Amino acid sequence: MTHPMPAIRLAVDIGGTFVDAMELDTRTHAVRFRKAPTTPARPWEGVLTAVELLGTDLREVELFIHGTTLGLNAVLERRGETTGIIANEGFRDVFLLGRGNVPSDHMYDFQYQRPESLVRRAATIGVRGRLDYKGRVVEDLDPDDVREAARILVEEQGVRTIAVCFLHSYLNPEHEKQAARLIREAYPQVTVSVSTDIVREYREYERTSTTVLDAYIRPIFERYVDRLEAGLAEDGFDGRFLIMRSGGGSMTSGVAKTSPMHTVLSGPAGGIVGAAHVAAALGRDNLLTFDIGGTSLDTCVIERGAAVAAYEAKLEHFPLLIPAYDIRTIGAGGGSVAHLDRGLLKVGPQSAGADPGPVCYGRGGTRPTVTDAAVTLGYVDPDRFLGGDMRLHDEAAREALREQIAEPLGLGVEAAAAGIFDVLLARTVGAVRQITVERGHDPRVFSLLAFGGAGPLLAPLLAREMGIPEVIVPFAPSGFSAWGMLAADIVDDVSRTVMVTLEDADLAALESVFAEAAAEAAASLAAQGIPAGQAVLERAMEVRYLGQEHSLTVPVGRDLRPDVVRAAFEELHHARYGHVMDNQLQILNLRVRGIGRIEKPELPRHAPGDGDASRARTGRRDAYDFGTRAVTEFAVYDRAKLEPGDALDGPALIDEGTSTTVVHSGQRVQVDPFGHLLVTLTPEARA
Amino acid sequence: MSEANVRLDGATAEVVRSYLLAAAEEMRATLIRTSFNPVIYEVHDFGLSMYDADLRLVAEATGLTFFLGANDFSLAKGVEYVGRENLHRGDIVLLNYPYWNAAHSYDATLFAPVFQPDPADPEADGTLVGFLCVRAHWMDLGAKDPGYVLDSTDMHQEGLIFPGTKVFSRGEPVREIHELIRFNSRMPDLVIGDLHAQVAALRTGERRLLEILDKFGRPTVDAAVQRMVEDGEARTRAALAALPQGTWTAEDWVDDDGITEDPVKMRVTVTIADGRFTVDFDGSAPATPGPINMPFGATVALCKVILKSLTSPDEPSNHGTTVPLEVRAEPGTLFHAVYPQPTFTLWTGIVAVELILKALAQGMPDRVPASSGGDVPGFMMVGTHPDTGQMFAVSNNDLVGWGATPDHDGMNAATHVSGSAGRSTPIEVLEARTGMFFERLEMRTDSGGAGRHRGGVGLRREIRFTTPGEFLSVIKKTRSRPWALEGGLEPDPNQVIVFPGTDREARVSTKRVKVEPGDRVTLLTAGGGGHGDPRERDPEAVRRDVAEGYVSAEAAREIYGVDDG
Repeated sequence: MTHPMPAIRLAVDIGGTFVDAMELDTRTHAVRFRKAPTTPARPWEGVLTAVELLGTDLREVELFIHGTTLGLNAVLERRGETTGIIANEGFRDVFLLGRGNVPSDHMYDFQYQRPESLVRRAATIGVRGRLDYKGRVVEDLDPDDVREAARILVEEQGVRTIAVCFLHSYLNPEHEKQAARLIREAYPQVTVSVSTDIVREYREYERTSTTVLDAYIRPIFERYVDRLEAGLAEDGFDGRFLIMRSGGGSMTSGVAKTSPMHTVLSGPAGGIVGAAHVAAALGRDNLLTFDIGGTSLDTCVIERGAAVAAYEAKLEHFPLLIPAYDIRTIGAGGGSVAHLDRGLLKVGPQSAGADPGPVCYGRGGTRPTVTDAAVTLGYVDPDRFLGGDMRLHDEAAREALREQIAEPLGLGVEAAAAGIFDVLLARTVGAVRQITVERGHDPRVFSLLAFGGAGPLLAPLLAREMGIPEVIVPFAPSGFSAWGMLAADIVDDVSRTVMVTLEDADLAALESVFAEAAAEAAASLAAQGIPAGQAVLERAMEVRYLGQEHSLTVPVGRDLRPDVVRAAFEELHHARYGHVMDNQLQILNLRVRGIGRIEKPELPRHAPGDGDASRARTGRRDAYDFGTRAVTEFAVYDRAKLEPGDALDGPALIDEGTSTTVVHSGQRVQVDPFGHLLVTLTPEARA
Repeated sequence: MSEANVRLDGATAEVVRSYLLAAAEEMRATLIRTSFNPVIYEVHDFGLSMYDADLRLVAEATGLTFFLGANDFSLAKGVEYVGRENLHRGDIVLLNYPYWNAAHSYDATLFAPVFQPDPADPEADGTLVGFLCVRAHWMDLGAKDPGYVLDSTDMHQEGLIFPGTKVFSRGEPVREIHELIRFNSRMPDLVIGDLHAQVAALRTGERRLLEILDKFGRPTVDAAVQRMVEDGEARTRAALAALPQGTWTAEDWVDDDGITEDPVKMRVTVTIADGRFTVDFDGSAPATPGPINMPFGATVALCKVILKSLTSPDEPSNHGTTVPLEVRAEPGTLFHAVYPQPTFTLWTGIVAVELILKALAQGMPDRVPASSGGDVPGFMMVGTHPDTGQMFAVSNNDLVGWGATPDHDGMNAATHVSGSAGRSTPIEVLEARTGMFFERLEMRTDSGGAGRHRGGVGLRREIRFTTPGEFLSVIKKTRSRPWALEGGLEPDPNQVIVFPGTDREARVSTKRVKVEPGDRVTLLTAGGGGHGDPRERDPEAVRRDVAEGYVSAEAAREIYGVDDG
């Protein structure tokens, strides 16, 4: 029997409490969305359940894209494999020492303790063999030392996975390769992670840390992907299986099994990839993402159409030399608890989480949360929450607020609830200003893209507060992260530390390093099914003033002449730091990003309606208006019935089951041709 | 700020507080974004703070611990020197006179008065509503030696001094002063660049403070500030009341003053009583001929760090949080240098942090850890790079074992408690930028003080020089052991051994030595002091330490009484 050409794409994103599954039919552009509970003990089961709930025929699926924080959780919960380290003789402690620093939020704690290590010191061994700072061999690698080290680690210490990292190996991986070969010969069942296979950049602790985390999670990640692949295949799936990367793009499941490191911080990546896609479709160069879930608020800058990435990330206190989006998080979301501290109103950092959850969920929560404030302010219809699947206990929420916040403060209940929003907002304003100021921008040149369950509820308020001219609310904001994953390309990043001054750099030598990195990226893409002709290779240099530690990533083309690179560097430096200097420049890393373009989900354009939004009007509700700081009547609209070209003025509530857009007086909503809600100031408020 | 009689609810107060803190953090982001010198934007060697018109601290941004408390002192001195009546809208004042600036001469404080313009008379200064202050480390202001000055004997060898001098007047740069700075620095571009970065941070803070006043109205802001200050003071007093009450004295020694070899005595008496925290340095040595003396403001700042760690480690500071602090030190002594006593290597303050903890530990052994190695073991190499022919001066702060506490072992090899957010420099960077090759960097077995809880272990670092140059050892605590608590044992002190195994072998503390290729230096950094009787240590923990190589089998047997044959 034949079945139709596969034309369905599935995106499945595992979160802390829910698995989100999004189905896209590439013929009709129709999307469908379902949630299933996360199953931490057997995580693949939650994924398969969510897919089952969607009812998708897996034989029709051409592409399955998956976002998972399994690797992250393995580290946080210390559930990885028993890991050993082989380093240089005299330097076995590189990983355990780190850079010696205490996190700055603990700098006044004279009793600070490091979190439990991933590796016992007895499982760290130094072997003879040493390179100098130019990668020249000072002492040959001693094969007997390596074999003996492997024997001790495996047979005496019970290690199942080994990280190998030597000083200066980024310039000359030969010793690491030899060591890996010797270990694999002796113990083929042991996983070996080699630093220069993962990243060829300088700084031994950062490279070792990246390698150790890779070694630590690789076996469990591999088992997980194998299970999931088998489960999907059983149901007839025969398409391409991709996994999201932390710094944008995706990789095939095969690559993910050998480079699980690139998945660890991929949790928020889907939303950001989606945001960049929306930015391009709408012609907005500068966008701020504003993603609010139950416990946190994440924001990321999209600048000139591209999300800001960093080449060094952190997991707990472990540095990771992997590209990752530069996301700022405030520990405040819908579940954050409001409380009084010596008479001052505080929001978070404690969260009621999913269980017991906010008071209004009626699951035993007794402490008022941001969600309870939203219900009390009238923004959430207690009868229509999650499309009516869950009746909210609005009276209990109100009572908790009255007792615990309003009365002690001597305020009315609405004023107290509005105060909770004010406090949350004041903190958010600070964080958003900072992330834009650091990039050298005024926040008022950005649009705000609101998603996550509570994003559209707060974003118009934030925009009002900061003078941000526009809020964009995508369709189904609470499923936006999963939708965004559908827009991910297949990506691989390859880097080489070169550390030469720009003036002294031998152009031919640079070209050959670039060529080597490009060949590696192209080969990786080819192995992931991207034909050479379709691979895009982007080149960049990390450049800095000689003597400084931090660098800027300068995109470069074919022309690598010093004056061309210098001009590009200075333009960026001026934008970021407000000045340039005459000092010598140093090239630190060469980077090649290989991109295999995957066809993006088209944003379907809808025909304009008659422009009369009253067709979508479902009623009215009393709610708190921040424009006038009073309870007033809000018009209520059903988002599903709004059509392109519609316009309406606040105060208004636009419901769509899993989320509500709250529009205050002085704000106007327009529906664009793609169905996005664009919230701006009314002409009167602008004047 | 002015008398205000507004009713302020706890929500509005918190919102105003958040905005003020966010303004300070935005000043910080601006400084980092625009500064020229890596010590500012990488080491974060700066302090930014915001004050009301009565010079009360309102908000500060995260920065170097010692710098934060110092601004309050400098601002008061600077305003007093210039005179309020001589301050106008748009003025910015520079201060680095050590005895007023609470720091050595290379830490430059810039402060600005903030005036709220009067809409009726926009040309006039308007009302003085507050002050902003930014302190940052400048790379060079023309002291006698480049880099660190280890042996100055008076202030005038330590660079160009500004007692409170306008660098901007009514919004316009004072060109003569900028040129004076330029012509007196070995690195004029960096220094002028950093001056402008500090100005940018002040302007950002000024804009935001005025916006906040516009948004909420001055009475509301004043009431919120008043409430923050009262709250800060109440928090500190409540935290002090919860601590053991009493008076405790401790003594300790700084190795030497950089000129002579004589150890220098430190003595402190700490009193917690009646909601006050009093730190008295009576009995400490007179000011030394060499530059290890502390300006009094720097002494006060270090006491603020201790008070904060004891009472409000997680809360932003304001004027109220340090009201209960009183610091005493006789003028002309180690902790209260007076003109023209030298102060360049005032890192005595690092050793003094532990001195105060040592006193406190007598009264609250259940709250204070034992000594954490005693000091920050720093070193630097100066030379000419063989690849570039350019001069380099690269330093590193090494790691020490932290002191054991009543509840757990001290952390192994970490940055000293006095500035624990600082990071050590990678081997790959040190080898590429200097003429040093490292033969070993490893934790040292048996270097942590034994105890029921063990002090963290220190390091062994072995350096071989590959190019000629100078090696600078910067450490003030090598001759006396880090102290232990409650019957714990004291570990060996820090040691810097130059030319080990040769006839030139010597143990040094703060010292500049010439080195040639093939010469070696070994650094042994101290571990932390132990806490409690080692014989009471859980034998399982001892066995684990032996397996991990932190404790030898021999020490396990001899000291801990754990013998696993």
